[in-house]
Amino acid sequence: MATISSEIEVFAGAPAAEPPRPRVLLVGSALASGAAAMVLLTLVAVYTSMRADVIASGERWLPEDANVQLSPGNMGMITLLMSAVTVAWAVYSLRNDDRVHAYLAFGLSILLGIAYIPTVVYGWQQFGVGATSSTQALLIFTITGLHVAMAGVGLAFLAVMAFRALGGQLTGRAAEGASAAALYWYVTVAVYGAVWYGITITK
Amino acid sequence: MTVTEAPRDVVEAPAGPAPSAPPRGLAAVLGSGDPRTVGKLFVGTSLLFLLMAGVVAVLVGFERVDLSGFEVLDSDIVRQLFTLQSIAAVFLGVLPLLIGLATAVVPLQVGASTIAFPRASAAAYWTFLASGGVVLAAYALDGGPFGGDGEAVALFVAAFIALLVALAVATISVVTTVLTLRAPGMTLRRTPLFSWSMVVGGTVWLLTLPALAGVLLLVYVDLRYGQQFLGGSDGMYDRIAWAFWQPTLYVFAVPALGIIADVVPVFARRRHHRHTAAMVLIGLFGALAFGAWAQIGFSVDGESDPTDWLYDGVWIVVGFLALVPVVGLLGLWAATLSRGKVRLGTPLVLALFAGLLIGGGVAAGAVTVIEEADVLTTTWASGQELLIVAGTLVAAAAGLALWAPKLYGKLLPDGLVRLGATLLTLGAGVAAVTYGIAGLYDQPRSIAGSLDGVSEIDTVETLNLVAAVGLVVAVTGALAVIAALLVPSRRRPVADDPWEGHTLEWATTSPPPVGNFATVPEITSEAPLYDARYTGASVRTSESTEASA
Repeated sequence: MATISSEIEVFAGAPAAEPPRPRVLLVGSALASGAAAMVLLTLVAVYTSMRADVIASGERWLPEDANVQLSPGNMGMITLLMSAVTVAWAVYSLRNDDRVHAYLAFGLSILLGIAYIPTVVYGWQQFGVGATSSTQALLIFTITGLHVAMAGVGLAFLAVMAFRALGGQLTGRAAEGASAAALYWYVTVAVYGAVWYGITITK
Repeated sequence: MTVTEAPRDVVEAPAGPAPSAPPRGLAAVLGSGDPRTVGKLFVGTSLLFLLMAGVVAVLVGFERVDLSGFEVLDSDIVRQLFTLQSIAAVFLGVLPLLIGLATAVVPLQVGASTIAFPRASAAAYWTFLASGGVVLAAYALDGGPFGGDGEAVALFVAAFIALLVALAVATISVVTTVLTLRAPGMTLRRTPLFSWSMVVGGTVWLLTLPALAGVLLLVYVDLRYGQQFLGGSDGMYDRIAWAFWQPTLYVFAVPALGIIADVVPVFARRRHHRHTAAMVLIGLFGALAFGAWAQIGFSVDGESDPTDWLYDGVWIVVGFLALVPVVGLLGLWAATLSRGKVRLGTPLVLALFAGLLIGGGVAAGAVTVIEEADVLTTTWASGQELLIVAGTLVAAAAGLALWAPKLYGKLLPDGLVRLGATLLTLGAGVAAVTYGIAGLYDQPRSIAGSLDGVSEIDTVETLNLVAAVGLVVAVTGALAVIAALLVPSRRRPVADDPWEGHTLEWATTSPPPVGNFATVPEITSEAPLYDARYTGASVRTSESTEASA
């Protein structure tokens, strides 16, 4: 029967436990995501506040020739929600050292993210009036355009982390970068939820 | 058995970006990601911008001496300078000054080898410098609020957005450092109060600066591509003025409370009385200071009330409630001083001045929310802004005096700093009080505002003259503080811990080596060095400190 001391001898040669990793990138990304969200949420707040004021005065909010279609907005929302699921799949796979599924999930996420952009552009085309024709149009184009920019940053972040995973830099124990990119992407999707509800649904 | 155990009180320096050898020559400045270098650059540049803001405030002040017309400058220029004084004081001065101080000091306070995202922090400084310069250049080209040149106005807005992004990035570096790179054993509850105040203030800045950037973005798109639905350059200041009003105004003072809270116990030679309560009060003040909701609204039809939050429940509650944390902190500092063995060092004198100014500013804010007083649009509010800004500046000067050994490797000349801070406090105090009294005579805050409601014009003009002289005295004081930074120290080398400090930054050399600490003690309280000095607790300082001793 092995004694306690001999068991200690067995473990004495093992490498020291890794110190807990400070989640610098994750926390920094969370703060940056919050700041980016505030830019868009402020604009959405301005939009809803102006809309409420105009409607309260008995006027029509959107100009008569303006047309905010439901389909592009809904498609954009669904596309982004699906991408949020695939991003979670990518992070889960990476944490479990399932690299094949991680690559697949990263690829799908980026594809869905890119697919979101044409839905916005299609919505602009169907809007019927130019961005500079009225305050309402200016707000709608600024808010949706800014969200496309936010999604673009998120896509770049996801792509960098996907390539790092391809290069073997993000293993199961150090998937913090992927988690940080995923966090930013979740915030991007959540902010689009506010944009979608504020502009597409309530018009 | 081959078990090797490190002494319990000594652990390896916390993980973080690996420090590299410092560059030399011009590269030491241009290419450095060293937080001390970047912090000093922020501090130096912001002080120069502040001096300029002070001169502008003096010019505007003298313009008010004769209310019958504009005597010194053209009326359009005066309106632009009126906006420049606030924008430069807050966004080119106070905010980057605090960020600079935090960039240099916070990693030391929390026992980190460097700041989080050092390259981003350095990039933020250079973006701040460039965008700050473009903001001023745009003003010079007849841009800015009330500017007449459309291109220059758009340039101003774009540069202002870039400036806000730079400040936000630098803030993220500081806040992330506190949240992730603290020494072992340093729980958030044991975090030094300046670092804690940067977490609180920085978080609220990160919610506020983007809100301002979002509004500016809308203004930019409207200016460049729209039909100026939002009022063009004349309406622009209404879009950003909320940043200089309460409650947003208070958020810039949050780190000032942290500086005072770090200075007081050191010079009382006693622990901060109820450290956790102080953290809660600073947190409460920060939460109340979030004011992005209190903006002048946009109006499409020109009929809706653009300030429906004014004299409404939340605004009034915040105005009064903001007094609670400030009064609570003043009480805690009084208790700390009364129970300790006070030594009236320069940082303490400055911290007391700062506490009085900020306390006065918040008290003036409580009067502002009383509808019957009707002082919001008068120079009463200008006086309140002056008290908060000056209080924050004096607190920053206290921080510079305290941490000069860590930043500059020297002690600042006591006499010059005390003289400068006293002049700054007196001058700003006199100007604020006289503006406040003039506000009670209904003098409008806006320099281009109507004088129809002003009673006792001669009295108001006399008060304005006193205020202008006060501003001259305050700027002279600021000059003296800047001069103190430039005067070479006669006492070399400075001791590692000349003040007998309580927190971790005093456990390393002055100035600190690359990587700050060779080894970091495990933290068991909020004042580890105080414990070692007065209670005999075991705290081992860094190897470099021991070597220098």
